[in-house]
Amino acid sequence: MILHTLNRSPLDSSVYLQALAAMTEADCLLLIEDGVLGCLPAQAGRWPQLTGRLFALREDLASRGLVDACSDSITVIDIQEFVALTEQATKVVSWY
Amino acid sequence: MATTQTAEELNLGTGTIGLDPEGYLVDLNDWTPEVAEALAGREGLVLTEEHWEILHVLREFYGRYEQSPAMRPLVKAVGKALGQDKASSIYLMRLFPGSPPKLGARLAGLPKPTNCL
Amino acid sequence: MTVTTSVDEGAAGELLVILRHGPHSGIALKEGLDAALVAAAFGRRVSLLFMGSGVAALMPGQGKGPLDQKGTLPTLDMLEMYDIDRCYADSASLEALDMSADALVIDVTAVDSGGVAQLMACHSLVMTF
Repeated sequence: MILHTLNRSPLDSSVYLQALAAMTEADCLLLIEDGVLGCLPAQAGRWPQLTGRLFALREDLASRGLVDACSDSITVIDIQEFVALTEQATKVVSWY
Repeated sequence: MATTQTAEELNLGTGTIGLDPEGYLVDLNDWTPEVAEALAGREGLVLTEEHWEILHVLREFYGRYEQSPAMRPLVKAVGKALGQDKASSIYLMRLFPGSPPKLGARLAGLPKPTNCL
Repeated sequence: MTVTTSVDEGAAGELLVILRHGPHSGIALKEGLDAALVAAAFGRRVSLLFMGSGVAALMPGQGKGPLDQKGTLPTLDMLEMYDIDRCYADSASLEALDMSADALVIDVTAVDSGGVAQLMACHSLVMTF
């Protein structure tokens, strides 16, 4: 499993499309920093077939007031769980 | 990296030329064969025909690719230009002791190679 | 344009450098190429993947930037001297810029999204620039 991290808002940058193109069905995507704007239900259409493999960092959601607004299909994790996820991954690739 | 800071001056008799803190030319346009001889003298080297053909390979490399080569591509370029018997790091180490890419670039009037330690 | 969907095992290398920024647009492209050159200078097997705006680096006829800033074309020409000969380009990005893999400044293999994923999988280290 490759862990992909995305720190850009899908409203500003199409780099998320490059991340999706590079992912296999085994890979996970973690939204961090501005990337967490992609957690809003209105953005759910951007992440087809990622159920169970799409994560968002709680700290970045909280600082933007988005914890409660986050889409149900996204798994919210804290920084400790982020570290655990990187340990499970064969490598981490950042998209920025 | 090339720098515009002159740390010392190379006296050529006909005038002086600025060198950066690591002994590379401040202005690459200052280079002449006489400058190479003078720089070699500072390193305790006398330039022979074997040195010169490597310096020409270095200057051609820079002219084409705009960067000074690290060891591996220098060996490859020497092999292409001068034949495989000279395409070895041992041969280059004998001519330019220490670090052939760095010493060679210095004498050839090129910037310090950026991707070699 | 031939698009490769499946990257064979010969593609496997130690480092995959992904170049996502075009020439004369900040220093990301130069930094990525530098990382590739340093790794290759130390004998690592390096592959390059041009993706997004990064494929613009493959456009023929590039020149210097304002104030004579060096372009990246001479560096791409130099890759062969560092034995970097495995270069790939994302086919969707090429199409988006009306480019064809047959008419670029260096030889590249066009890969689709499945090929991109395989490249990520078969290199032990991936760096994005």
